[in-house]
Amino acid sequence: MQARAFNPQIFLELLCFLAFAALMLFLVLSGKYLSYVTPRMEPYLWFSAIVMALWAFIGLGRLFRPQHKLRSSHCFVLAVPILLLVLPHSPLSTADLSGSLIGGSAISGLSSGASGSLNSSVSAAAAKTEAPAAVIVENADAATEAPAAEVKLSNSNASYGSTDGYANDLPGLDVQGKKITVPDDYFGAWISEICMNMNLYEGYTVVMTGFVFKDPTMLKEDEFVPARLMMSCCVADLSPAGLLCKYDKVSELEAESWVTVEGTLFIGKYEFDGQFYDDPQISVTKITPAQAIEAYSYPF
Amino acid sequence: MALPIYVATGFLDSGKTTFLNNLLNRGDWHDVKMLVLQFESGDEEFHSRHENCQSASFSKKDLEQRPEQIVESIRRELEAGEFDEIWIEWNGVAPFSQLQALLLHPKLHSLATLKRVIHIADGKNLESLLGRTGGALPEQIANSDFAVVRNVHYPDDFKRVKRLLSGINPGIAVYEFNASNDLYKQIFAKRANPVSFFILTLILAVELYFVARPALEGFKIPFNTIVNVFLGILLQAVPFLLIGVLLSSFIQIFIPQRAIESRFPKSLGLGMLAAIIGGFCLPVCDCASIPIFRSLVRKGIPLPVAVTFMAAAPIINPVVILSTYYAFTGNMTVVVGRVALGIIVSVATGLAFALWPSKKPPLSGGALDRLMCGCGCYEDAESITSFSGKAGLFIRHSQAEFFSVGKYLVIGTFIASIFQVIGTGAFRSAQSGAGLAFSIIIMMVMAFALSLCSSSDAVIARSFSNQFPLAAIMGFLVFGPIMDIKNAMMLSSGFSKSFIAKLLLASFIASFAAVFLISAFGGF
Repeated sequence: MQARAFNPQIFLELLCFLAFAALMLFLVLSGKYLSYVTPRMEPYLWFSAIVMALWAFIGLGRLFRPQHKLRSSHCFVLAVPILLLVLPHSPLSTADLSGSLIGGSAISGLSSGASGSLNSSVSAAAAKTEAPAAVIVENADAATEAPAAEVKLSNSNASYGSTDGYANDLPGLDVQGKKITVPDDYFGAWISEICMNMNLYEGYTVVMTGFVFKDPTMLKEDEFVPARLMMSCCVADLSPAGLLCKYDKVSELEAESWVTVEGTLFIGKYEFDGQFYDDPQISVTKITPAQAIEAYSYPF
Repeated sequence: MALPIYVATGFLDSGKTTFLNNLLNRGDWHDVKMLVLQFESGDEEFHSRHENCQSASFSKKDLEQRPEQIVESIRRELEAGEFDEIWIEWNGVAPFSQLQALLLHPKLHSLATLKRVIHIADGKNLESLLGRTGGALPEQIANSDFAVVRNVHYPDDFKRVKRLLSGINPGIAVYEFNASNDLYKQIFAKRANPVSFFILTLILAVELYFVARPALEGFKIPFNTIVNVFLGILLQAVPFLLIGVLLSSFIQIFIPQRAIESRFPKSLGLGMLAAIIGGFCLPVCDCASIPIFRSLVRKGIPLPVAVTFMAAAPIINPVVILSTYYAFTGNMTVVVGRVALGIIVSVATGLAFALWPSKKPPLSGGALDRLMCGCGCYEDAESITSFSGKAGLFIRHSQAEFFSVGKYLVIGTFIASIFQVIGTGAFRSAQSGAGLAFSIIIMMVMAFALSLCSSSDAVIARSFSNQFPLAAIMGFLVFGPIMDIKNAMMLSSGFSKSFIAKLLLASFIASFAAVFLISAFGGF
């Protein structure tokens, strides 16, 4: 004979599974997950939601199995993330990262913002800000020495599939007019593409929108980066990224303001570890103020 | 009002009757009227000294064949006499669920309710009993409120028994047989309901969130950023943890130990080769490889081989190779270097365990862990043969493993997110003017502290490449996936501290030596 009695522990677990599954679904369907992780995680979040929902469903069968010794603390494993997701918090913005101008945060640090004072190593941190021009990006060797391998791998990644050497499935490319109008949603993809195949795009006119990123300790007086916050994996690696621009009147630009930059792409030099590498840069011809873009960008 | 029921469980000859004789015959209890029900007749008999206890006993045969009659006769006893308490001595080899079924029977349910379950254990033979007496004993231990241990004469013995018991019933209070005063307090102490405890804690946490947030931000601690980073890392890790526990539970439940023992290469060299190929084939990060590692060790895979697998899998699988390739924009030196170093270091770490085997078992539950998973499923995976039975066990096992490893994932992620938000500046400033060896060590320590998922750490490593030499970056890329705060925390859900310390030391030395030597010979 099998006794039946309501089992609060199973009920609690069931609630946690359901809440977590529902939250994952909500995050994916509303697109809010993009504030935490990249679009590549979408199938994995679906997977988590499905597993949790299945667990909850199967747990129903044990809901009336008596149990003398009850436990609840293990449920915090799910309750803590659920609570933090639900409780109010705002996505990180440029201000969080660059309140004291990037401080130690170009990529992983994220420290600046409210805690600018914590960055004791201003010079070291600033050196790293070189990264935005180069982050995901700048390895010259690969682009110049092994273009064949490059194209092959790009192909295998599907999103860069190109038969004539151009990433013709990235929107905004005008081969005839030698112009790339970077759509806001493809900012990261275009940065990657341009850096990987900079020789292909040399001399093109590039139009892109970002916030003005200036840093006197690492950028020259006539240099700035129209940057976007780029997330490579998750919000922990959020960092400004973009192409370095040469512009005479940088001093007139207000840091953090959003601008649309138009200019000609050329291959400049970028110093790293005592050596000079090719670096795609833009010689600016026109700058217009632009609307701020809330969303992050993703390199692939 | 329903009468309180107190139950003493324990294996045959563990001393249940002696315990009841001592306890129920206390002078100051002589006016408490008790009904004592025995489901076992051992060497010692229950004697009531003050004639306040009435006793009845039932045989195991009755229990199995005529449970309805037992219920009926208990009901009659209860209606005939006036009792204050019911004490039950439960049979040592009968499942606890059987007792619950009796007590929850509609005829008894309203008359009496289960208050406390006390487990009596004989410290001398508990370990060997647990290894070979099936599911009833661990089930009894898991369902007890506290345990009383007999035959432990040294503090070390007591500790060992306590570890065994809490392996099955985490956090269980254990008392020595003659520590009577503590015991009485336990029996009648008011017990907090764990569910209301859970809800209260949640409410408190919400309040704390709103109070602590402005306070912390007042101290210039970027609370919002920490929350975001925490959730980012966690959302990325949870799906992989799920994959890990599902695969690991699959191995645990569906693959019989015999199959692994007979098929797996006997020699160390072939075993390690298999471990590396296996590591390449499993596209998982370190969150997933740790539960798999644990179940491999449980299934009897030689420790050096399992360690090699655990160390190699998060470094050399295709997902990680691809993400490294992207992060370093196709720099093949880094990609190939990471894979090659990953293989060298994981084999070296595995060899360390082959050359210097430790005497203590690596699993914290000792030999026991091989037989039971401590997940509330005491049925032996090998003895259940039906597919639906195994499927049910698979689900419960994966849930239990998710909770037990997930706990450490949450804690580790929390520490790592604090480090990421406020800690990196210190590492960066330490670098200025450091020599190569020191730079490598800084980056390795940073990898340990940041606890990044191996499928995403390459991008972070890339961001340090402006200040750190390539060799230091390689140290970061190789050591981080093998060992970090998060991994050490997750390992402690099943492994002994000395094993984790040894693994940490071995992998640290192996990573450092490999990176340093190769860079010294001009590898990078």
